[in-house]
Amino acid sequence: MSPRAVIRLRHAGSYLVLTVAAIIALFPILWTLSTSLKQIVDALSIPPKFVWFHYTLHNYSKLFHTPGFGPAYVTTLEVTFGSALVTVVVGSLAAYPIARRWRFLGRRPLEASLVIIRAIPPIVLLVPLFSLVINHGLYDRPLTLVVVYAAFNLPFAVWMMVSFIQQIPYELEESGEVDGANRLRILGHLVLPLAAPGLAATTILVSLIAWNEFLIPLVLAGNNTRTLPLLISTFVQTRTVDWGVMAAGATVAILPIAILTVLAQRSLVSGLGIGGVKQ
Amino acid sequence: MTAQAGGLPAPSTPGGTEPVARPGRELRPERGLRTWLRRKLPLVAFTLPAWVLVVLVLAIPIVTAVSLSLKNETLDLFGSPRYIGFQNYRTDVFTSTFLHSLVVTVIIIVIGLAIQLPLGLWLAGLLHRELRGTRLFRSVLLMPMLLTPVAVGLMWRFMFNSDLGIIDWFIRTVGLTQVNWLGSVYGGFASVLIVNSWQNVPFVMLFMLAGLQALPKEPFEAAEVDGAGVWQSFRYITLPLLRSVLLIVTMILIVEGFKLFDIVYVITAGGPGTATQNVSLLDYRVGFTDLDTSQGAAIGVVMALMLTPVYVLWARATAE
Repeated sequence: MSPRAVIRLRHAGSYLVLTVAAIIALFPILWTLSTSLKQIVDALSIPPKFVWFHYTLHNYSKLFHTPGFGPAYVTTLEVTFGSALVTVVVGSLAAYPIARRWRFLGRRPLEASLVIIRAIPPIVLLVPLFSLVINHGLYDRPLTLVVVYAAFNLPFAVWMMVSFIQQIPYELEESGEVDGANRLRILGHLVLPLAAPGLAATTILVSLIAWNEFLIPLVLAGNNTRTLPLLISTFVQTRTVDWGVMAAGATVAILPIAILTVLAQRSLVSGLGIGGVKQ
Repeated sequence: MTAQAGGLPAPSTPGGTEPVARPGRELRPERGLRTWLRRKLPLVAFTLPAWVLVVLVLAIPIVTAVSLSLKNETLDLFGSPRYIGFQNYRTDVFTSTFLHSLVVTVIIIVIGLAIQLPLGLWLAGLLHRELRGTRLFRSVLLMPMLLTPVAVGLMWRFMFNSDLGIIDWFIRTVGLTQVNWLGSVYGGFASVLIVNSWQNVPFVMLFMLAGLQALPKEPFEAAEVDGAGVWQSFRYITLPLLRSVLLIVTMILIVEGFKLFDIVYVITAGGPGTATQNVSLLDYRVGFTDLDTSQGAAIGVVMALMLTPVYVLWARATAE
């Protein structure tokens, strides 16, 4: 075989593997979407119907009329964006002096605490948190969820912002110092605008993790603050599982993320590489 | 400090965090309280909000957990709980149930690593060739790791269904032996591992891809000149150079293995029986199904202590 043919063959092999992997990655997502658009007969039919079936939005209308769906959706949005805002603001503030390698009181302990938050299994903290939250009348409040989500996501935000801030040359800040601006102004007017893409990536990623959060609301949310993942998980606990409605619920949860993944690929990839993120 | 890999020093990101000039030196070491107040206090102030979160959600709960674990507090106990010393640890933590859940956790982590590391590295290698369409493949392939675990877990559960599920239909059509996915011990482990890998392989892939892109080109060119094959250059150049990235990914996957909850909760619920009940799920059950707060706290304290080597390694790495 000529070397050219070898290269061609190797390319073909690469594409084959990548295509198979892509099918495995996408299939459950597409299957969820298609199940959500089926009537129950089609959803359970053997052999399965992939494309040719009677399309219906019945499952979605049932989902939207499920008691608690509307409030759960609103709560999820509130808590997701509320906590993302807190995480990004608090994280950027803390990231700034860490990124600039300044020595200051409490630097090492803070870094160590962030590592522990990242590595400790959440349930370890949630057992005592539940007890604390109950005793202080904070159970079933959106604000409680916002604070706890924000704390658990803080390490990602700090580490991501540290690396983005470090890409901004320090010389630019010196000009600000000469003008007599204080550090907070330098951060707000000089550093963060330059780190805007990083700020966006951090916000997107932190919102995503918050949107997916399950164990925290499972422990700390009551009837008034039930989130979307919680609501979806209850669909199988009822004795007869309505797979169509469940698929509709899953689609509502994952479709925004799937679209976001394609649209914001660049900033997600940069952020994921830095934050070492897993949900 | 490179922040990549969650605070670990790794081969720099593509795009490169060039070592910045050490600005610490700009702040001259002046002595005196006034200088300290003017120079350093603002820096501490930047971290205060972060400290508030750390104290509320890490420090106070840990102290509370230790204190709870020494009491006999339950959620349905009327009257005030009292201190009972280490009884919870003696009688309730080191039980066969706990040890079993520990074994389950380790099995899921070890087999998970054996599946996810090679697959992730392989896919990263393919993406690294930068064939046409790589960007599209990359965004499709990383999707599973970002999706709501509960939602995809439930869908997989539907697909694993033994009569109506599409996976069984596929197996029957191809002519393989059927697997009782959710009703048998092996099936339960397999389904958890499949879904876990489906979400973790993209993560490994992305991480390895960043690692590969940061490698120097010269050794590979030299090897090619010397007539090394694909496998040889992978075995003797790529792998050794990727060692630190591999270690980081392994550590993160171990941490995530201990945290694993959502998927197990919705797919097998720890079943059949308690066959796939890992430590996180056990701790949740003890604390919130059995309503035994003190025992739950004791198990949690032991779990947290078991991960001590990880905190130390990780924190030491951030210090560099």
